Amino acid sequence: MRLTKLRKAGVLAALLTGSALAVPAGAAGTIDVAIIGEADTFDPMVSTKDVVSIVTQHFVETLYTFDSGWNIAPLLATALPEISEDGLTYTIGIREGVSFHDGSSMDAKDVVASLKRWLEVASRGKLVADKVASVEATGDYEVTITMKEAYSPLLSLLAFSNSAAAIYPEEIIAETIENVVGTGPYMIAEHVPDQYLQLVKFDDYVSRDEPSDGAAGARQQTVDEIRFVPVPDPNTRVEGLLSGQFAFADSLPAESYQRLEESDVADPMLLKPFGWPIFAINHKDGLLTDKAIRLALQAALPIDDMLFAAFGDDNFFLTDGPLYPEGWAWRNEAGTELFNQNDQAKAAEMLKEAGYDGTPLRILTSRQYEFHFKMAEVAKMALEAAGFTVQMDVVDWATLGQRRNDPALWDIYITHSPFLPEPALTSLYDKTSRLGWSNPEKDQILTDFTTETDMEKRKALFADLQAQVFEDVGFIKIGAFNALSGTQAGLEGVTATPWPFFWNVALPE
Amino acid sequence: MTRYVLKRLVGMLVVIFLVLTIAFVIVRLAPGDPAALMLGPEATPEEAAELRTQLGLDRPIAVQYFAFVSRAVQGDLGTSLFFRQPVTEVLAGRAEPTIFLSLFSLLFALIIATPIGIYAAYRRGSFLDQAAITTAMLAASVPSFWTGLMFQRYLATDLGWFPASGYGGPDASFLDRMGYLILPSIVLGIVNSALILRFTRASMLDILGEDYVRTARSKGMGEARVVLRHALKNAAIPIITVVGLTFALLVSGAVVTERVFNIPGMGNLVVSAVLRRDYPVIQGTLIVVATVYVLINLITDLLYLLVDKRVKY
Repeated sequence: MRLTKLRKAGVLAALLTGSALAVPAGAAGTIDVAIIGEADTFDPMVSTKDVVSIVTQHFVETLYTFDSGWNIAPLLATALPEISEDGLTYTIGIREGVSFHDGSSMDAKDVVASLKRWLEVASRGKLVADKVASVEATGDYEVTITMKEAYSPLLSLLAFSNSAAAIYPEEIIAETIENVVGTGPYMIAEHVPDQYLQLVKFDDYVSRDEPSDGAAGARQQTVDEIRFVPVPDPNTRVEGLLSGQFAFADSLPAESYQRLEESDVADPMLLKPFGWPIFAINHKDGLLTDKAIRLALQAALPIDDMLFAAFGDDNFFLTDGPLYPEGWAWRNEAGTELFNQNDQAKAAEMLKEAGYDGTPLRILTSRQYEFHFKMAEVAKMALEAAGFTVQMDVVDWATLGQRRNDPALWDIYITHSPFLPEPALTSLYDKTSRLGWSNPEKDQILTDFTTETDMEKRKALFADLQAQVFEDVGFIKIGAFNALSGTQAGLEGVTATPWPFFWNVALPE
Repeated sequence: MTRYVLKRLVGMLVVIFLVLTIAFVIVRLAPGDPAALMLGPEATPEEAAELRTQLGLDRPIAVQYFAFVSRAVQGDLGTSLFFRQPVTEVLAGRAEPTIFLSLFSLLFALIIATPIGIYAAYRRGSFLDQAAITTAMLAASVPSFWTGLMFQRYLATDLGWFPASGYGGPDASFLDRMGYLILPSIVLGIVNSALILRFTRASMLDILGEDYVRTARSKGMGEARVVLRHALKNAAIPIITVVGLTFALLVSGAVVTERVFNIPGMGNLVVSAVLRRDYPVIQGTLIVVATVYVLINLITDLLYLLVDKRVKY
């Protein structure tokens, strides 16, 4: 995979060091992937970080996964489960002949032990734990999950690679797993912290037979090695990609798009759209517990200007109100007339009617993601024009992560999320989340939405839920944004997704 | 002299203890929750609290401090919250790139700065002297991150003369890894050469005006011998001081350059540790840096003995 330019780099460095080749040539079929940072755990059950999902999905697998249309597809399960009419019993067939990296064979006992651990330790597992009556092996290769109440997002939770319901050998199951053993197409060969994670082909991997489709279907070990290289500085990722050092670089700055487009060495890869910036609203404490003030806030925000300030180029954002983008099953227009009103005069009138007393509106944000800060700056100007007193609390990401857990310290905090395949995968709607958004109508809609099993009825219920987001201002979606990654020129088979994977990737000749 | 060294070593222990205490307090005064960072954005406050308990971060500060000190005096700097490895192991893993980056940078700086500084002083007021002073000012004024970015973009990415970043993969030999340090060493060397050049020039100017230099010349001694043997030897103490300080600064973490070139050294580690609120690693790094600083200062002071017989301790 290494390019001529990298060889050239080696020649000068070699002359200076006397080494045969200063830049290691890399085995044929090795792919170097620049990621935004180090994964602090290789156990995807215990982390909700995207970088953990990106890395671990290569060596750890789940019962289900998602295809390119975000439909649920079997992975370690033989097929989609048989679900009883009442939605309470899921009978899951487990694939025979699947080996773990330690040489043992996977069976129902491993799956049961893994799922029980997931219900105990995983953030997303805990969401569903109180609804699960039992997880039992009902055959050597069959597992039955019995629910206390119907819960339709269950399969999405089992398929998601984030806080994943990963399947491990029963023997290694413990509260903390030091050495992760999975079934994936690649396995860990060496890890040098902050330097690289080397994955090599798992020779006994048995791929599914179906054609590859997103993360579903066949997983071909088309490269011998995958090396994940943590490169925290975005500019360094760009230079590494353009110099031929990396075959793929994740999460690049928008400003590098043109350089990538003009380059012969690399190509830009735009994930359109990637996700949505969110103004998370504090419903537990403070100014925004007053619905009238929340509505004034929503009326004042100039979403288009905020997005332009944040991303600077129409290629990288879309002023789009619905909670899901075009082409997604959950897309609907309910409530979106309240999106991007950009009407500070109306907001001022609403504030007056609400009896706003000038209490500062505290916006908690960070420059870890520069676009969060830029959006907050524009919002501040518009909100002040509407009569709000705005207090910007700009802190580092670690401090934001701590402060947002205390409802006394903020009114809005800024975050973002990829578009998730199932609405219930985000906690924003849940009254137990740190937002604490709750009203009887919304809570009932949410309950109906998670217990309903008919997809068409679920879509209608989600439209009601979306209307609530706008009418009660549960949180504020600030449009949608795209993500830029880059690939080595000629690299084939990389799918644009928030969690890129590198099985099925073909290197240029 | 033995007594002097012993006295300095005792002083060093006091400094290290103070640094250890200050480091412990400062990192805990900073807001931010390592547990929330470790669990990721979807984790609940309750889960973060549970992890804090597991990590012992919910214990009273005094209890944590005494546990830390009692382990530290036995050489145990704790376990990294992020890497789940002993801090000493984490730091040891970062030693090679940082030490060699510092050495190469210093070597590069000395190769450039010392002869130019000597010559500029010798030809005071000449075009070369003026050019050297201007260039040194420029090199000292331009931030190292900018120099790093420019060199990376044009020399590594566009011309392909050097690797753009990193420290080599699993198959990289020692010499391969050293290849990755050349460009960052040049960047750091340029920045640090400015200070060494100015000190060399100033020190040489003082000495070249001394009576014994005039005497040496009047005795018919050759210029090269006058400058290099008599003047340089006597001008060496300030130069050694600045070289020592520069080396200590480099070893303690060329933070920006390591970040730009993605060198997995101490500088990069400490930035990441602060962002991750990895308290034990921050504390451990500060202790190591303080120790290195004090040791290099001691070595610098002892080097005075070698170059100037008049110095007595």
